[in-house]
This record gives sequence, C-alpha cells and structure tokens, in this order.
Amino acid sequence: MPGAAARLIGFAQTCLSRQWQANFNPLSADDQSKPGEEVSSHGGFSPRRVFATTQWSVVLTAGRAEFEQAQTALETLCRTYWYPLYAYVRRRGYSPADAEDLTQEFFAWLLERKWLGKADPQRGRFRSFLLTSISNFLSNEWDKARTQKRGGGKIISLERDEAENRYTWQPLSYSIPEASLTPEQSFEWRWALTLLDHVMGRLSAEFEQENKKELFEALKPCLLGDGSAQPYATLASILGMSEGSIKVTVHRLRQRYRQLLRDEIASTVAVPEEVEEEMRYLFAVLTRR
Amino acid sequence: MENFPVCPVCGTTIVPSAPQGLCAECLLRAGFETKSGNKSTDGKLATVLAPLEEVAKCFPLLEIIELAGYGGMGAVYKVRQPQLARFAALKFLFPEKQSSPLFAERFEREAGTLAALSHPNIVAVYDFGKADGRFYLLMEFVDGLTLRQLFRARRLSPAEAVAIVPKICDALQYAHDQGVIHRDVKPENILIDKTGEVKIADFGIAKMLNLPGNVSLTGTMDVIGTPLYMAPEQIENPHLVDSRADIYSLGVVFYEMLTGELPLGKFQPPSQKLETDPRLDDVVIHALEKEPDLRYQQVGQLKADVEKIAQTLVPAEEAGQRVTAAPASRSTRPAALVAAAQAAARAALPPKPVRRPAKPARGRRKIALSVAVVLVLAAALLVLLLLLMNK
Repeated sequence: MPGAAARLIGFAQTCLSRQWQANFNPLSADDQSKPGEEVSSHGGFSPRRVFATTQWSVVLTAGRAEFEQAQTALETLCRTYWYPLYAYVRRRGYSPADAEDLTQEFFAWLLERKWLGKADPQRGRFRSFLLTSISNFLSNEWDKARTQKRGGGKIISLERDEAENRYTWQPLSYSIPEASLTPEQSFEWRWALTLLDHVMGRLSAEFEQENKKELFEALKPCLLGDGSAQPYATLASILGMSEGSIKVTVHRLRQRYRQLLRDEIASTVAVPEEVEEEMRYLFAVLTRR
Repeated sequence: MENFPVCPVCGTTIVPSAPQGLCAECLLRAGFETKSGNKSTDGKLATVLAPLEEVAKCFPLLEIIELAGYGGMGAVYKVRQPQLARFAALKFLFPEKQSSPLFAERFEREAGTLAALSHPNIVAVYDFGKADGRFYLLMEFVDGLTLRQLFRARRLSPAEAVAIVPKICDALQYAHDQGVIHRDVKPENILIDKTGEVKIADFGIAKMLNLPGNVSLTGTMDVIGTPLYMAPEQIENPHLVDSRADIYSLGVVFYEMLTGELPLGKFQPPSQKLETDPRLDDVVIHALEKEPDLRYQQVGQLKADVEKIAQTLVPAEEAGQRVTAAPASRSTRPAALVAAAQAAARAALPPKPVRRPAKPARGRRKIALSVAVVLVLAAALLVLLLLLMNK
C-alpha cells in the first residue's frame, strides 16, 4: 500500500502539472476579438481533450486496456473531493479518528475494486456515485476493512486537524443551521463549495503564474456580476490601468471562469450533455433553504 | 467583534469556506451567464444606493425609512406616507439602458397595467414614474415574509401548502383574465403577511425589464435569472409565453412546498419523497407537464383540484408528518399559516445572519475564564475577611 500511495501522489503531481500547463494562460482563452495591452495571447485550451483524458467518463467507460488511465482519473477526482466525504462521515456520527481512517479506507477500497474495468455509464455522476458508495461502504464494508486492517495506506493527504478545523469552524451558512440538513444534503453542499473552490483555485493559480495575482485579487469580485465590485474607473486608478483595459480583462476573467467551471463539472459527469443539468442541480443545492 | 463580509449582490453573510471569499451562490449563478455575459457595472451600485437623504429629496411626500434590499437590478426602500398613515415599498428599477426611449415607453405601459390590477392577493402598485433620472414603483408594503423565508424557517406542512396554493391561483387567475402574465412566479415573489394573507409581488416586472424572468425586486435580486422555476417554453422563447408558463412555475413552487426540493430531471412524485396525500401528486405533475398543451390550461382548474383534495386531506399526523396543522380547507386564513408566518417572523426574520465568528469559542472562553478568575478571587477575599473578622 505505501508503494501505491507514493505512486498515486507522484502521478497526481505529474497529472496536475500537465493539466495545468495545458490550461494556464487565463488571459488568452478567447481574446482574438479584443487584444489588450496587458494581456498575453499565447497558449490554447481544448476542453474536449481534457474531458477525454482525465475524467469520470474515462472511469466509466474504461476497458481492461485503459485500466491504469481510469485508475488515475479516479484518484485525481478523489483527491479533489475528499473533504465533502470526510464531513459526510463525521455527520453520520463517526469520531474524527474514525472518519479519517474511514475516508482513507474508502478510497483504498474504491481504487481496488474490480468494477473499474467494467463499462457502466448507468452509474451516473461522480457526485452521486460517491455518495451511494460511501453509504454502502459504511453499512457493509467498514467492519470488514477494519478487521483486515490493510496497513493504513494513505491514498489522499488528509490532515485530521485541518479537516476537523474546517468541519468545526467553517459553517456552510450563518443563516441555516447544519443540523437542519441531512448528511446527504450537507455532502452535496460541501461538494458544490469544493468544486467552486477548486475552480477558483485554478483560476487564481493561472493569474499567479503570469505574475498577476494582485490583478486577480482586485478583479475577482467582478465575477459575481453587476454591482458587485468597485466601478471600473476606481479599479483603473487603483491598478494603474486604463478603464478600457480593465473592461477587457474582466471580460476575459469571466469567460475563463465559466470555461473552467464547465470543465470541472464536465470532469464529474458521464457525458458532456449533463454539464448544464449538473450545474442546475448544484445551484439548487446551494440555494436550498 | 470581527467584521463579516457580506455579498454585495445578494446580501448574505459570507462564510469562511466560501471560494476565494466570494459568495458561492452568486459565483455559480455567474457561471450560467454564457450568452450575454455580465454587463458593465460602472458606478451602478453607487447610483442604485443613493443615500436616504437624496432619495428623500426626490419624494417630499414620503418618509424614507430604510433600505430594505438591493441588487443588480435596483433597490427597495421601506417608506411611509404620512398623509395616508401607511407604509409603502419604493422600488427603483435599474434597467441596463435607462435612457432608452424604448424602456421609458415599456415602463409606462407595463406599470400602468400593473397599477390597474386590484386584487387582495396581488401587491398593489400605488404610483409609478421617474424621479431624478430613475424609474420607480411605489407599492403596497407587505409586513410579512416571502415564501422563501418561510422555507428557510421550516418545512411547510401539506395542509399549509394546500392553503397557500389556492390564494396564489386566485391572484394568477385574476391577472390572467386581465391579460397579465407574471412570468416570474417563485418563492421570493410570494409573500405571506402577518395575518396569513398571501400576496404575489412583481407581476410582469420581468417583461418590463425585458428579461427572460427571475428578477426579484422583493429584496435580494437575481441579475439574470436561473431557469429553476421557468417553464421549458419560457427558457426557449421568453417573449412568446402565455399564462401556462405561470402554471408551470406554480407547479415548481408547489412541489418545493411539499418536498423542500426542486423537481429537477426525472423527479419523484411528492408522495414518494415524503408522506403526503398521493392525490396531490397528480396536481403537481399535471402542472409540471413539459408540453404546455398537456398542462392545466387555466390556473382556476388547478385551484379547484387542490381545494377538492384539501377538503378531505389526509391529516398530516396520519401521513407521518410532524405538524400540528389542521386540514385547512374552509378557513381562508388558516390558523396554521398565520402562526407559521408570525412564528417565522419572530424566530428567523428578517433573515439576519447569525453572526457566529469563525472562532468564537476562544473569545468567549477568554471572557468566561476572566469572569471565573474574578469570582474565585472575590470569594477568596470574602473568606479571608470572614476569617479575619472571626479572629
């Protein structure tokens, strides 16, 4: 297991850096029509390519030959979405120590399963697959796994203190008590937050790579839409840019955000056509009152 | 006390886990806007949120009490008309092209139609016009809650749902008979006042602003709406809908009242999710038919069906619900609903976020510790004094 863990982490790093290299260049995704002076214009991005190589659809449709690739895709997904699972297990009443073990064991179990080789698009979206699987795991497999004690293979880097800190001190909302939500609803809510956080993390990293972290920090409120940020004239004077350049940059920032959001959602659904529906579902989750 | 950031778009307090410190809900909503994109926001917020004194200058006959809500599409102020001794809601609309003569014309026409609507279940429009370059509507002030706020407080019982729906039907049927389509029926636009009366707000505002729908002016606002409550044909072609689009939206609201969830994708009938009267399934499903021709054709038909069921509604206790409401068939303002509105108003609303600091315990623990130390010291001093006095 430790060997497997090292392999996973190593691969994930390569995979992430490769994927990020392909996707970085936030300011250049769609600027043929409006070239701006602050903006570089190299790099390209093909959502379809990313979709076809690292995502949930690959896991679902992989044959024996693509087993390795599918395994890696699954690992990447697990690494992004471990926290909603951990919190779900905690909500189900397990102690922090058990929740940590359980989450790790669950991933180990998930990655060992033979189901990976069987194509089954009926399994639906990764989000619902994960929720069903963890729920089954808790009722059927956990005791077995505990008695076998596989040796604590760490599939994901899960720091219990950090996880607990998030779980205890980071409420989902100040107006809706978490106790009024079912563990499943909390999972979905945290899932949506994790997904958005991941997307924003990528967007931020793209700017950072171009040494434009400050620009990103100043302009990110503009993503929310009308009336959400300072007037462009103010932003222009703060950032020492022309108002026109701010407008162009904000336009591109929004476009890039939407692209990354759709890509990330695409990576968790079986077919690209489900992206829109999943987005609506996640919106409903976040606006559930 | 720490300062908690508030989302400038929807006004909710932002939690520490929010992605990059931005409101997750508004961020995801922004992800939908693929066609038109977000519009330029130059100085708009400043214009919308004029200081109270400036608003007051434009309306010498009104006492401007407070800003009740704002967003991308405008602002709502609670005001008082001293001569009439009543409160009112002053809504500033903020169309993209204020100066467009087309908008001015459309505003005049639509607002005139709305002002002509007179129904106990429709929020009345008292006046409308343009002041200091901004279009406004002066409307009835409803002292109560939106259905969304009620949902937030707790789940409604089926008895409450079947008491509310006929009221919404009455309002919609009346408006439809006048040739007015709401186009934006959703929980944010359905108000319940403290006496339990149901009022529908923002009739036709979507059309006035020339938007596909889902623009709420009752408080917090959606810029370009999400299609969650819209009929399929309204999403396809927002400008060519008829009254049946409202019936679909009402179906979504009804489903949400009964189950707490939205009927997305292949949804289950309400009675399979919770133990509600299975006869209500037929009503909800009939309203939610994707094809307008297969839907209820008149909202009055939906009302008749609901009322028929309400008369013999399986009591909630029997259906396994933890509610105390009695069947709400004959009462026009069921006690349960009044109680719900009042209780929720007391308990939860206006929905001010519970400002729970991210690490409150440390601060509180410090205070508790200091108090404990002081008490122990005082007690020790007292004992010492007593001892000394005894000696």
